Amino acid sequence: MTSAELGFIAKTAALARKDLRIEMRARETLPPMLAFAFAVTVVLSFTLPGAPELHAPRELPPVGTVALADVVAGFLWITVLFAGLIGFARTFEAERDDDAIESLLLAPIDRSGLWLAKAIANLVFIVAIELFLVPAFALLFGFRVLDDIGTLVGVVLLVDLGFVATGTLFSALAAQTRSRELMLPILALPALVPVFLGAVELSSDLFVGRGLAGDGSAGWLAILGVYDVAAIAVSVMAFEYALD
Amino acid sequence: MDASSRASTRSLLPLGIATWVSVAVALALIFFYAREADLSMGGQLQRIFYFHVPSAWVAYLSFGIVFLASIAYLRTANRRWDLVAEAAAEIGVLFTTLVLITGPIWARPVWGTWWQWDARLTSALVMWLTYVGYLFLRGLALDPARAGKPAAVLGVAGFVNVPIVHFSVQWWRTLHPSGPTPADLARDSGLGGPELTAFFASLVAFTLLFALLLSLRVRLGRAREALEVRELQREQLRNRAIPTSVTT
Repeated sequence: MTSAELGFIAKTAALARKDLRIEMRARETLPPMLAFAFAVTVVLSFTLPGAPELHAPRELPPVGTVALADVVAGFLWITVLFAGLIGFARTFEAERDDDAIESLLLAPIDRSGLWLAKAIANLVFIVAIELFLVPAFALLFGFRVLDDIGTLVGVVLLVDLGFVATGTLFSALAAQTRSRELMLPILALPALVPVFLGAVELSSDLFVGRGLAGDGSAGWLAILGVYDVAAIAVSVMAFEYALD
Repeated sequence: MDASSRASTRSLLPLGIATWVSVAVALALIFFYAREADLSMGGQLQRIFYFHVPSAWVAYLSFGIVFLASIAYLRTANRRWDLVAEAAAEIGVLFTTLVLITGPIWARPVWGTWWQWDARLTSALVMWLTYVGYLFLRGLALDPARAGKPAAVLGVAGFVNVPIVHFSVQWWRTLHPSGPTPADLARDSGLGGPELTAFFASLVAFTLLFALLLSLRVRLGRAREALEVRELQREQLRNRAIPTSVTT
């Protein structure tokens, strides 16, 4: 690696460390995200059937019914998405509050490094949320998460990469509007449709212990992989212009 | 009205006449020349195809122009490209809305359902939501004068989905009809000579209508900008006047 590349990595890491240190001290992003995720989980546990009903053996289900595991996996990922977007909307909050956007932009680093640093901090936040939500859903709804934990972690990280890349880029756009908490979901949710569909399809199979042997699994893995590469490529190229 | 704006009004007259003539010709061909389709394709209702597909074409064209104008704006910072992108995005949302209205009207009797979450319909709806978000991003900007750059970033990023909408019928199994593909031109589209004539006439009419709307909308954007500049100048003059009146 050349010294320029090492410098890029070191500066990006320094910026990411700065954001994580601010969060460690001020605790303004992760605790609200967790509180939101917890509140939604509590409400969902009232409205959805619990583990015994979900796994009750059924003879051939009548045509037109849906597997409840798919529905609950959908609720899990909706909660992850909303909690994530609440946190991502605050990506540039510290800089905005202190009028420090200009100082951030003056950092002696390529803008893509700025995006990468913010994305790393957001990835830490969303992984923390998932470390709470996935076990909580596993307990409440009897999901089997330990059967094939390696595959599950791989799928979740594949989902997270695309989610964080898109959320970080769009948070920079939303930060320049009057109602950024509203603006970010409006921009990000349509773009995240493929990620969300892939996450639900793949994880619901894993949660009921079917593994990734299903017909569509390879296709969804490919879609997630292509999405991640495209989202990262577009972000790296476009972030230079996203903040002004 | 000064001389330059009069001149630009006049320059749109030929385009306007061409648009309305082509619209009239296309309507006549669609309703009196094209034959009634097979009942399995909706019979008389199949004629909505002559509006549905050209609307989709205009939507692609609009978002393609948003994409190119956004790149041009990010590279040159020339305000003209920003106005073109904004105008094209509005027209694209309008025509995507028409696609999303005409499609279900046809699908209800033919498919038996208004909507189906297949790849084509889902990706088209995502395209609509993306560019509605684009218009919100501009409308809710903290500083409208600097709304162009973030919007241009979205105009570039959002275009990724447009080819997916188009090719979704070939990449996935969908309920939506796919029509002939460049790779398989021989595939029977089910349309004969009169139907294809009406279809291409409609495509021309919609394209001309798009060009007219885009020209009008860009001009509107330019006029609004000129008005804002004049108001700013007037305000500056007023502010300068106040201290002098105090001193005298």
